[in-house]
Amino acid sequence: MRSDARWVRGGWIVGTAGFALLLSNPAAAHMGTGLPGGFVSGFRHPFSGIDHLLAMISVGLWGAFLGRPLIYALPVVFPAMMVVGAIMGMFVVPLPPVELGIALSVVVLGGCIALTLRAPVWAASIIVAVFAVFHGYAHGKELPSAADPISYSAGFVLATGLLHVAGICLGFLNDLPNGVVATRSMGAVIATVGIGLLYRALVI
Amino acid sequence: MRGGVLPPALLFVALGLALGFAPRRAWLPSVLALLVTLAAFTLVPAPPGLADAVFAGCWVSVIATAASVHLVRGLPPWAAVAFSVNVGVWAGAVVSVSGSRLDLLKALPCVSIFLPASWLVARRASIPVKVVSSWVIAIAALAAMLQLLPVTPGYLPDHLE
Repeated sequence: MRSDARWVRGGWIVGTAGFALLLSNPAAAHMGTGLPGGFVSGFRHPFSGIDHLLAMISVGLWGAFLGRPLIYALPVVFPAMMVVGAIMGMFVVPLPPVELGIALSVVVLGGCIALTLRAPVWAASIIVAVFAVFHGYAHGKELPSAADPISYSAGFVLATGLLHVAGICLGFLNDLPNGVVATRSMGAVIATVGIGLLYRALVI
Repeated sequence: MRGGVLPPALLFVALGLALGFAPRRAWLPSVLALLVTLAAFTLVPAPPGLADAVFAGCWVSVIATAASVHLVRGLPPWAAVAFSVNVGVWAGAVVSVSGSRLDLLKALPCVSIFLPASWLVARRASIPVKVVSSWVIAIAALAAMLQLLPVTPGYLPDHLE
């Protein structure tokens, strides 16, 4: 009986130690430069803010609504102009308030989806290109302080592209019965969140 | 830090995407040209003072190679071989300046992206290939511009380097 109690107590000690090991971080005296950055943090960046996330998904979703050639032109235009914005951010070129531009992008892109706005190719490309500059600017300002800027940029470009693809995939809902209502509702929700972000950027 | 696997991997991905638009008969000569050039330029040590120029050449090559997916009539065989030689030169040089041959071995499988790329192109579904190439161009353009910044903390050696 006493032996059983010893086994139970031993099990508790081993279990607790194992659980503590799982929760603890390894001690690391030399983990590099100490600067944040790298592929993972770059990849996480577009997911870390709801403004980036919704805008990227909206680009793909709106492209899916507009069909060819914009379904692939918008996801190609966006990274190209995002690079221009990132370069402006790296060199700290003056730009109108970036948070305002990003919040406005969520409102406009969400609104375009909610209203199923059939913009011509040139107009849709210009709208997306202008907003891409603001998103790129925000990324670019953080890029130079990243410990591994190339991996960081690879991470955030890949994440951005995958969010566009996610938006395009959501656009396939349009082929289902009542799918258009669902995607238009998503656009309305995105625009509403964008209005909240715009209010925060303007007032708070 | 700017060396490692990523620069040669991006070169190989760009080449793989470009080869997706090349005819099948161009694949073997292109891959052979790549391997021969890689072997030659990895063995030749690049002068350390040329690191910035080598990286600039690497990024320009990534952009040019990835942009070739937009050629209207696809990639002719001679251009496929020329791009392979060019990629081999810069991948070898960039690894000899900053990195190790192991990085090259890790990155080399990326060129096999030409198999799914050509499969998509043959089925008239080249859109994903062109979208991915735009991502590669964006990364390379950002990396090229980073070199022009006066101070990039990530490039400064820490106390262990």
